[in-house]
Amino acid sequence: MSDVVVIGAGLAGLTAALRLARAGRSVTLATKGPGGLQLSQGTIDVLGYTPERVTRPLDAVAAVAPGHPYASIGQDAVGSAVSWLAEVLGPDLLVGDPSRNYQLPTAVGAIRPTALAQPSMIAGEAAGGRSYAVVGVRQLKDFPADLIAGNLARTTAPDGSRLAAHSAFIDLPARRGEADPTPLTYARAMDDEAFADRFARDVAAVAGKADVVALPAVLGVRRSGVWRQVAEVIGRDVCEIPLPPPSVPGLRLYDALLGMARAAGVRFIQGSRIVGFEAADGGTIASVTLAAAGGPRALRASSFVFAPGGFESGALDVDSHGAITEPVFGLPLTATDAGPLIPEVYWGPHPLFEVGVRTDDAGRPAGTDGAAVHPNLYVAGGIIAGAERWREKSGDGIAVATAVRAADHITGGAR
Amino acid sequence: MSEKSRNERAQALRDRLNTELQRMSLDMCVKCTICETACPVAAVTPLFSGPKFVGPQAERFRDEESVDHSVDYCSSCGTCSVVCPQGVNVAELNSLARAVMKAEQGVPVRDRMITQTVLMGKAMTPVAPIANAVLDNKLARYAMEKVVGVHRDAPMPTARGESLHKWLKKRPKPTKAPTRGALVYFHGCAGGYFEVDAAKKAIEVLEHIGYEVIVPDQGCCGLAEQSNGLFEQASASVRRLVDQLRTPGTDLTIISTAGSCTGMLKHEAHQILGIHDPELLDVGTRIREISEFLMELHAAGELPTDFRPVEMRLPYHAPCQLKSQGIGTPASDLLRLIPGLEVIDSNVTCCGIAGTYGLKKEKYEIAQAVGQPLFDMVQANNDGLAACDTETCRWQIEKSSGVETVHPIVLVHRAYGLSS
Repeated sequence: MSDVVVIGAGLAGLTAALRLARAGRSVTLATKGPGGLQLSQGTIDVLGYTPERVTRPLDAVAAVAPGHPYASIGQDAVGSAVSWLAEVLGPDLLVGDPSRNYQLPTAVGAIRPTALAQPSMIAGEAAGGRSYAVVGVRQLKDFPADLIAGNLARTTAPDGSRLAAHSAFIDLPARRGEADPTPLTYARAMDDEAFADRFARDVAAVAGKADVVALPAVLGVRRSGVWRQVAEVIGRDVCEIPLPPPSVPGLRLYDALLGMARAAGVRFIQGSRIVGFEAADGGTIASVTLAAAGGPRALRASSFVFAPGGFESGALDVDSHGAITEPVFGLPLTATDAGPLIPEVYWGPHPLFEVGVRTDDAGRPAGTDGAAVHPNLYVAGGIIAGAERWREKSGDGIAVATAVRAADHITGGAR
Repeated sequence: MSEKSRNERAQALRDRLNTELQRMSLDMCVKCTICETACPVAAVTPLFSGPKFVGPQAERFRDEESVDHSVDYCSSCGTCSVVCPQGVNVAELNSLARAVMKAEQGVPVRDRMITQTVLMGKAMTPVAPIANAVLDNKLARYAMEKVVGVHRDAPMPTARGESLHKWLKKRPKPTKAPTRGALVYFHGCAGGYFEVDAAKKAIEVLEHIGYEVIVPDQGCCGLAEQSNGLFEQASASVRRLVDQLRTPGTDLTIISTAGSCTGMLKHEAHQILGIHDPELLDVGTRIREISEFLMELHAAGELPTDFRPVEMRLPYHAPCQLKSQGIGTPASDLLRLIPGLEVIDSNVTCCGIAGTYGLKKEKYEIAQAVGQPLFDMVQANNDGLAACDTETCRWQIEKSSGVETVHPIVLVHRAYGLSS
């Protein structure tokens, strides 16, 4: 028996578990997989597009439509939740300010707005006519330096200046005899100081003139500050550009948050799904059912935070008839028929992704009348209705703000 | 052993791989790479190309022959299936694919030998001092590596001179009458012959809190045979064990101190060997890790917690085959109830040994590299003792870190004042 069971170990679940544990609550964190952080960029997006590019995200948060997850939380609470996360993780992992977006290059050479970034990334800020030497590694296919440099060179930065970029490659296997190394293979190799030094010298030899040397985000996964070592050897600013999964910057955040949660006493159960629940009088959730090997186990608690993600993790399901359901608690959703929500055109809004759970002001799942369905069940993150997160780049901010809202309601606002 | 030809055996396994329902889970793979980041083997060697590549990707090309021989470098730790957010049975399908490959190629004599855990225990126990001296002898181990292929530095169990069952026969009957009913105790091969002390202490703890402990005659669960691709032998072993564990009655909770073997009974025999007998399901749902059981009692307010303080720092490693049961780390929670005991979770995926994997001469270095962060952590955080729920992992940690490594129940035994 814990005070709280948190379901899901993505950014929302980890944030809720950590905040609750630090407020003195006993917490069990149950999750199937490790959540989406290591599939993310390792940055914290608050709001990137409305659909216009956003430079001041908290101002844009204040202007979201009613029904958006931010609408009931408000600018100040979103800002303080995101700042709390930045403070907890510290400046070796996250820097920035939720009131202002960085504009950072991506692995296809586009410019992506995000509020908090890792300190190894921010020298890449696309502004002031910056010039980039984009240096790839021949053996690492997920960092197409030519494509990145080509796109940057034809881009006008959000501040109106023209960017300049050229590309170069080094030839440096991370492990002998490996045909298709992942970014993580390189990041692990960089945890070794000697390999990072060799990498930096090779990069310095080919980079050529530029304001900043843009590198794949593989500069260490366990050892922090590898980027500083590399920049020192090269003698110029460097910026890490996040790659497709596995995302090394995302892993850094996951490892740090889970480590802190466990150090704060959070019990961690991984590998089994939560498949159901038992309710007591008045709709109170008494326990959730863990589908462990060898049979179901009941996890009892006073409160529950449900942070399972959305469609992408299977937390919201669409069957072959288009029926949308939330299979664990059977929560009421903002729509139940996917048919009319799937547009003919790919490059436009996809209203299906706005479908999810409606909440009351405390973050509890609510029916159409706005009343909480279960008095001790809270939701956080991607399961909440009202935002097409991947288009507007708001998923991280929503996860953090709704997790903090749930945790603080459970603890009565105690920190 | 049956007289089936190599081809027939390979074909039968391939049919399972091609037609079982769990094969459909391959289509649930979204190529997210999470299993690759968690795989402890791929992290230290390019010889294993990772669970996603070997599993959901390569499996599509394995129609009539094995195309990716690196599957042999999978250690069967099961981490990939644990972390897969989409529910792909990565480890189970890769184990099956490896069994097909081994059936095609033939299983080396070495792999047949090191799976004979009960035989080893029975042979070594009566001649324990001699057996231990031989296993400590450098020349003997060198010869063993050359002839058999068991690495000269790999951890070996220590024979005890008295088996658990011999002790049970000799010991005075418990004086306290049971107040809580009966439990069946499953000690595994190690508890019977090598880790007899932990098994005795588990029995004494259960008796101390009021249970009658029934210890039926029991053999091996077949896990070692399974991970070496000897599925027919493994199936026979686990079926025999299931029958043995059912003899005292079919409504009693079965308590285990053999972490990996518990996983075999709960899910692996079903998913990897493809055994669907109701008897296996019955045992699989009634069995509990001893720490899991004690924490269930604790949650119900029924565990006596009059523990004496045990003042020490204790590094605790949750082994893979405990984690793959999806019940969290109950030993870690249990040990935290003991006053004075500062439990430090290893948070390391795997110790490297994975049953018999780290014994093999071609895999020894890999297994050591996998476990290195754990050995470092144990060395940096101990007051003379470490804890872990599974036997071969304890031998690996003890051998490679130099720190005595015990089953968590040994600490609980001490905290109840049953030993000092």
